[in-house]
Amino acid sequence: MIFRKLTTAKLAAVTAAAVTMTAAPATANECIAPSNPGGGWDFTCRTIGRILTELDLVDGNVQITNMPGGVGAVTFAMVAAERSDDADLIVATSTVGITQIAQGRYPAPLDTMRYLAMLGADVGVIAVDDESPIESLADLNEAMAADPTALVTAGSSGAGGWDHIRLLMVADEAGVEDLSAIRWVQFDGGTDAVTQMMGGQIDVVSTDLGEIAGFVESGDIRVLAALSDEPIPAFPDIPTAISQGVDVTGYNWRGLYTGGDVSDEEYASWVDRLETLYNSDEWQEAATASGLVPIWRGGAEFEAFVREQADVMEQISRDIGVIE
Amino acid sequence: MSVRILGVAIFMIAALYTRQAGTYDVSFGDVLGPTVFPIIVGIPMMILSASLVVFPTGQVDWPAPQRMWRQAAALAVLVGFTMTLEPLGFPLATFALITLIGIILGGAPRRAVLLGAIMAPALWALFDQVLGLPLDFLGELFV
Amino acid sequence: MEILSLLGQGFVVASTPLNIALLLMGCFIGTLLGALPGLGPVNGVAVLIPLTFTFGFDATSSMILLCAVYFGCMYGGRISSILLNIPGDEPAIMTTLDGYPMAVQGQAANALAISGVASFVGATIAVIGLSLFAPILARAAIHFGPADYFALYILAFATIGGIAGVDPRKTLLSALIGLMLATVGLDPISGVPRYTFDSFHLYDGIEPIVALVGLFAISEILMLLEKTFKDRPKAIPVGSWLPQWGAIWRTRWAMLRGSGVGFVAGVLPGAGASLGSFMAYVAEKQTSNKKGTFGKGDPRGVAAPEAGNNAASGGALIPMLSLGVPGSGTTAVLLAMLISLNVQPGPLLFERQPDLVWGLVASLYMANVALLILNLPMIGIFTRLMMTPTWALMPIVAAVTFVGVYGISNSVFDLEMMVFFGVIGYLLRKFDVSLVPLVLGLLLGGDMERNLRRAMSISDGDWSILVASPISIGLYILTVFFLALSVWLAVRDHRQTKSERLTEG
Repeated sequence: MIFRKLTTAKLAAVTAAAVTMTAAPATANECIAPSNPGGGWDFTCRTIGRILTELDLVDGNVQITNMPGGVGAVTFAMVAAERSDDADLIVATSTVGITQIAQGRYPAPLDTMRYLAMLGADVGVIAVDDESPIESLADLNEAMAADPTALVTAGSSGAGGWDHIRLLMVADEAGVEDLSAIRWVQFDGGTDAVTQMMGGQIDVVSTDLGEIAGFVESGDIRVLAALSDEPIPAFPDIPTAISQGVDVTGYNWRGLYTGGDVSDEEYASWVDRLETLYNSDEWQEAATASGLVPIWRGGAEFEAFVREQADVMEQISRDIGVIE
Repeated sequence: MSVRILGVAIFMIAALYTRQAGTYDVSFGDVLGPTVFPIIVGIPMMILSASLVVFPTGQVDWPAPQRMWRQAAALAVLVGFTMTLEPLGFPLATFALITLIGIILGGAPRRAVLLGAIMAPALWALFDQVLGLPLDFLGELFV
Repeated sequence: MEILSLLGQGFVVASTPLNIALLLMGCFIGTLLGALPGLGPVNGVAVLIPLTFTFGFDATSSMILLCAVYFGCMYGGRISSILLNIPGDEPAIMTTLDGYPMAVQGQAANALAISGVASFVGATIAVIGLSLFAPILARAAIHFGPADYFALYILAFATIGGIAGVDPRKTLLSALIGLMLATVGLDPISGVPRYTFDSFHLYDGIEPIVALVGLFAISEILMLLEKTFKDRPKAIPVGSWLPQWGAIWRTRWAMLRGSGVGFVAGVLPGAGASLGSFMAYVAEKQTSNKKGTFGKGDPRGVAAPEAGNNAASGGALIPMLSLGVPGSGTTAVLLAMLISLNVQPGPLLFERQPDLVWGLVASLYMANVALLILNLPMIGIFTRLMMTPTWALMPIVAAVTFVGVYGISNSVFDLEMMVFFGVIGYLLRKFDVSLVPLVLGLLLGGDMERNLRRAMSISDGDWSILVASPISIGLYILTVFFLALSVWLAVRDHRQTKSERLTEG
């Protein structure tokens, strides 16, 4: 008796579920953002997932999963162990993730995964308060070279993270001898750092432009240099570091990887679809809107780029003493 | 007596915690380092827990052995749920969870089964279908 | 005057049929999600984001929906705090202290009504503050530096000893355990993993919601199993299903005080709703606990923290909109949402997109009214929920908390942590150790440590920076004042009971 009750109840429920399921299309593809909702990786997955569906590049919706942990390490370990051949899975990553790998903070090496493409990049900037006596990158470098401890610098990464490394690369070019003497303060985000700078707690901020663009437009802060090859289209007046004789670039690119055992065919298919997405107006618009500069690198070219960047990052980290 | 044991237990944990804090290197570019705050927390913990050992307050009435068995059974069901969720999928594992906890809490077995049979698929439908939190309907065993 | 016309414009924007429908839907979903233990505003807002994309709402409509969910969650969180002694989300923990005792005494309807009205008062005051002073307050908040935040947390934890429990040592220990747990995980400043036992699962630290539902919900099941089935009350007496308006009116000052304290905590980025409700409760207890009724079902102990947490969540929108700095997990999600909708929060938002800002503000006024109207008739339904027999209610609560945690993190490890915290919570409750300070320690500990370290990095190791600003000195003076007041009150109570005993004897 009990059994019969149980099965009818279940059947009813399954039918009900099946009815609702047809209403929402099946989701085969999945994008994992290795972070909590909000923030860069989550944005990458949600935006790319949305546009993939809008352009009919995938069947149905792309399911977005948040899997925070260890700045991406938890997701990396899970994909390596359980889903290395799952061609329906893409994972968001960025320069920040590659920095972690280069510093040996992920459970597996770089080539555990196949890197699909980068679709855009945030540009690093060095900024000061609008009332700061420092007027240019030359002023800043002079001040740092004269006394590395004189200025308090800050950004959204911890010591040895990408915001910190970018600043040290500039200081290194400027001829600062003792890089570890420069005071660095971590904040939870670029805007946190900027508002603390406006409140007079710190002197210099090194972080991505996208997040703090509002303060540049309002004139609350002065950007000394953009760490890009070319001036940023949205802010043509900001001089690049290169144009001021400091040969440093510091992009924070946004891209995707998939499992290491995904077949060449399926890998190529993803790269194709992502390239179509990259060329769409929807992506160009979404990327620019969130302060990204659209940049495409895909397939083998991107894999080589990631490998080279990891090597460079490891070398810098070693040079400035973040790792031994 | 129980309170003294609690004091000793917290003291031991605090002592290990404080000792472990000393092993984290004061790293590059970080003035205070990852060590100091755990020590600031650990030392008052040791003092307070030691004071509990010396001057305990309050009485604890532990449940009768028979009740403890029920608690152990409930814990076993909860742990069992965490282990079977992915192999069985959400509705089946939840059915077992609701039914068994219901029985342990003194519900009539028949009604508990019915409750599980209704609530498990309903919760799955609510979360997976309505709220869009992905939950497997059938687990890894069935794939 | 200009503000009034802008606000009027906002009401026009918010009053389209679509926006009103979204507002009501958001309020309802929010209340439901907030009431379910394990699901809070962060998850609530996060799960609805795909929906706004699917239907292609514009930025204003999306924000109205999500903010309605956010406010709804803040209203809903208190329901299970009061009825089940299980907080629906983090800011609702303070409401368990007096809300549940009220329900046990048959005052569930009153507790729900008081907390509902308090939520309304708190949120409305915050929205008024938001419409009048947002830009000024945001400019003031930036002067709060790391050392000042540290002083604020010192004030919070110094006063924690007085919030609950018989033995203040146990309360302090509970807070310290919370602070200890907050240090688990990858240290964001140095990148060093601490107390992770080489498990990647612990790299992101202990998720407060996992600890919260484990400590309260799972331990509640274990507590229930202790009692013999005969002596367990079948269902807690419900008393009158209708709240008494007099009882609500008597808590008016508590609501106003709580709103003020909560709003200030909300405006400071990083402090958030949990700190707001906590400070509101402590402040109220210090001012009004003359007969020692707090913690035993004092209506003011329900009114103050509920007003405080809703005022704080409204206040948290100020730094989010005018600085782009998220004050809490939920505002971080809202912020990401705004950015992906092509809206740049920050100093220029109020000038550039007045329709969005004022439409949102107007919709918040409307959401508050809607939530009050929605919540008061539901009191009857919720109190009836308490008549559900325990054997049926608790398994469902357990299942909901499990799925709430799993649905967000997709991690079985988190579920195991939840069970582990259930056992810890049970043991601590047996020893009369309040669990509330533990959760607060876990919630605030990370920020407390980081701000201390930031201050020390700024000063290059000079400890005097901690007392270098007028704000931090003021906060330390307040701390000393609070502590002195508690000691004085304790001594006075002691004398009183002594003299009473003498006259009786």
